[in-house]
Amino acid sequence: MNIIPTVSEIELQGRFDAHEAESFREIVDGILANSASLSVVLTAVDFVDSTALAELVRAMKRCREAGGDLILVKPSDPVRVILELTRLDAAFTIT
Amino acid sequence: MTETDLAAYRHWATTPLQTKPTYSVVIPAYNEEWRIIPTIGAIATHMCALGEPWEMIVADDGSTDSTVELVADLGLANLNLLVADANGGKGSAVRRGIFESSGEIVLFADADQSTPIEQFGDLLAKIDEGYDVVVGSRAAVGADVASKSLSRTIFSYGLKTLVQTLFRIPVSDTQCGFKMFTADAAMLLFSRQVIDEFSFDLEILFLAKKFGLRTTEVPVTWIDAPGSKVDAAKVAVEFVKDLIAIRRNDLAGVYATDNHHPDSAGVKAGGSIPSQTNRQAA
Repeated sequence: MNIIPTVSEIELQGRFDAHEAESFREIVDGILANSASLSVVLTAVDFVDSTALAELVRAMKRCREAGGDLILVKPSDPVRVILELTRLDAAFTIT
Repeated sequence: MTETDLAAYRHWATTPLQTKPTYSVVIPAYNEEWRIIPTIGAIATHMCALGEPWEMIVADDGSTDSTVELVADLGLANLNLLVADANGGKGSAVRRGIFESSGEIVLFADADQSTPIEQFGDLLAKIDEGYDVVVGSRAAVGADVASKSLSRTIFSYGLKTLVQTLFRIPVSDTQCGFKMFTADAAMLLFSRQVIDEFSFDLEILFLAKKFGLRTTEVPVTWIDAPGSKVDAAKVAVEFVKDLIAIRRNDLAGVYATDNHHPDSAGVKAGGSIPSQTNRQAA
């Protein structure tokens, strides 16, 4: 049997900050153990701090090393602006 | 936020205001390289969605990290970055930001977004009711405080008890970094402020009571942001010293209305006490 990497999806809501980073990492690591790509829906996220951005970058690197990608799906306007101001919008795949 | 709101942000970010701002948001910043950019992004997005002209003022406090360079590099058209040569204390940074502001309503907000900017409207509603000073409160009924450390909880309780016993200030949380003022009230209060350290908030609220300004508090959501620079034990000692200093200053006439802080030279608003008639009519 071949295991084919698939795209998994998670949705975040509310404030994504340092307090949520550890649980986010645990969930993402669990998913990426079986999948090379991950979509993170950010439509209902109203704020991301620098720690959260670092977690997203870490997940992106892990995906790309596995031949997949981390996709940020429909980020809310504040998140989109924060990505632009930090210039991370150029680094991520954003749909 | 709609596509139109995002367009409003992009316009604000690239086109200098042609009119006097309705709102000014002052953010004091000392070594905030890790936290300030997301805060600027969140505040800018929310404020632009309100549809009124507004300005952001980042008042550096002598940062030794890359805070100044990071903020300057954003190149936002309506962000005014005030650079300080040395660390003078949060109170000095807020004061410089207030004196530089042009808005009819002025908010100062901490750089860590611990009080989310979404609560701007809750405070503004009280200004619209006629209050001169509106304080975000973590202690008022209805406040939602998350992840606050035990030491800060004990510290806050101690402060609240002390302040209410000694000064009878009509708010239960003097230290929350989310306070709104009418422009006249802001200029009046900060032109008399002499304490530049942690207790400057208390001094401002003491002065508001002394000058008869209408002051109230609004319960806020508050999230204890990691990396807080507040050392509860050290600050408690300084706070008690400042309580005494405020009393001493008052008795010595330091807060007399004809005394102005040197930083206020050239400030637009005169810093006079609003007349009782005006305040009641507001």
